[in-house]
Amino acid sequence: MTEPGLGAAILEHEQTGRPDSDAIDATLAASGDASAFERLYRHHVPRIYSLVRRMLDDDDADEVTQDVFVRAWQKLGTFRGEAAFGTWLHRLAVNVILARREMLGTRRKRYIEGDAVLEVLPTRRPGPELTMDFESAMERLPDGAREIFVLHDVEGYRHEEIAQMLGLATGTSKSQLHRARLALRRHLER
Amino acid sequence: MSDRWVERLSEYLDGELPVAERAALEAHLESCSDCRAILAGLRRVAARAHSMELQAPRHDLWPGIARRIGATPARDTPAGRRWSFSLPELAAAAVVLMTLSGGAVWINRSNISAPAIAPVATGSGLPTPTPAIHANRSAAQSYAAAVADLEQVLAGGRGQLDSTTVRVIEQNLAVIDRAIAQAQRALNADPANLYLNTHLAETMRRKLDLLRQAATLVPVS
Repeated sequence: MTEPGLGAAILEHEQTGRPDSDAIDATLAASGDASAFERLYRHHVPRIYSLVRRMLDDDDADEVTQDVFVRAWQKLGTFRGEAAFGTWLHRLAVNVILARREMLGTRRKRYIEGDAVLEVLPTRRPGPELTMDFESAMERLPDGAREIFVLHDVEGYRHEEIAQMLGLATGTSKSQLHRARLALRRHLER
Repeated sequence: MSDRWVERLSEYLDGELPVAERAALEAHLESCSDCRAILAGLRRVAARAHSMELQAPRHDLWPGIARRIGATPARDTPAGRRWSFSLPELAAAAVVLMTLSGGAVWINRSNISAPAIAPVATGSGLPTPTPAIHANRSAAQSYAAAVADLEQVLAGGRGQLDSTTVRVIEQNLAVIDRAIAQAQRALNADPANLYLNTHLAETMRRKLDLLRQAATLVPVS
């Protein structure tokens, strides 16, 4: 027998089954429902903020994260539901981040070739916070190696996708990833 | 250690080396402890990257976003975009809800795997898998059919539910039905009103949500 009063609770917005809820909220948000868009924001902001913070300087993370969601709001009409909303939003976020980089002029000389990448990381700092230590080591990679490492190893994009997004040869993406991994390996083992 | 092979270790790790080179590298690894150590280190780096935890912003960014999209204090539409929705358009949004919500109930209650195509409601009780021809069915009809199906499930199982639960569900449905009726009457007088349009869509969604969840309370016979 069902517990009395359970029905009263089911008017609340369901928090489970997010992909389905995302599709519903994206539909509602596209019609101008800001509360539906806020639900999407609440669900996806940790992943978007993490992406932004790992690809840009910490000082810019809040502003660029907000830029991503404002841009998403403006572009909701182009979301067709062919991919999951989270996938669509993530790709949009990458574009916003790359545009930000472009604006800041940080694309120059980003793709450092050869062993120069390996020399930019300082000695690993002592302490138990290995996760944060790894984060700070990533932040010290040259911009090009850093963004490719984040996109490939953290976010799971393939080299072909990265090359397309960044306007690079696939081989450049592979070599930069390898340089970044070697640098981080040395950092971890110091 | 061979620089030639060191340069290929990430591709090897990612499974991107051609078969012949892969075999040659594996043969080299058998005899090169330096390359094995580097490979292990690269593997640790990749594993660490895969397992990185998400970070939440240090403070809530929503107020700033809401301000920029013009959503505070009242709900508003995206900048430069303002339109109204007809009932069929609203019902089209409900079709998404219907296929997801009604379909989920059907799958749950039938205890079978999901069909390759999305189910929609029919008038014969539980929703059934949709032939392509049904895709052209009017959105409003589909919404109404989904509601009818879920109401039928609920009606058939009400004897198995606690009376207090049934009463609460019926009271909530009555409230929602009144809200839908009021919104529809208001829209007849002001069809372009964005708030009324979104309010009606939200209320229709809530009715489907309520029915879907109430139907899951009915024990499967």
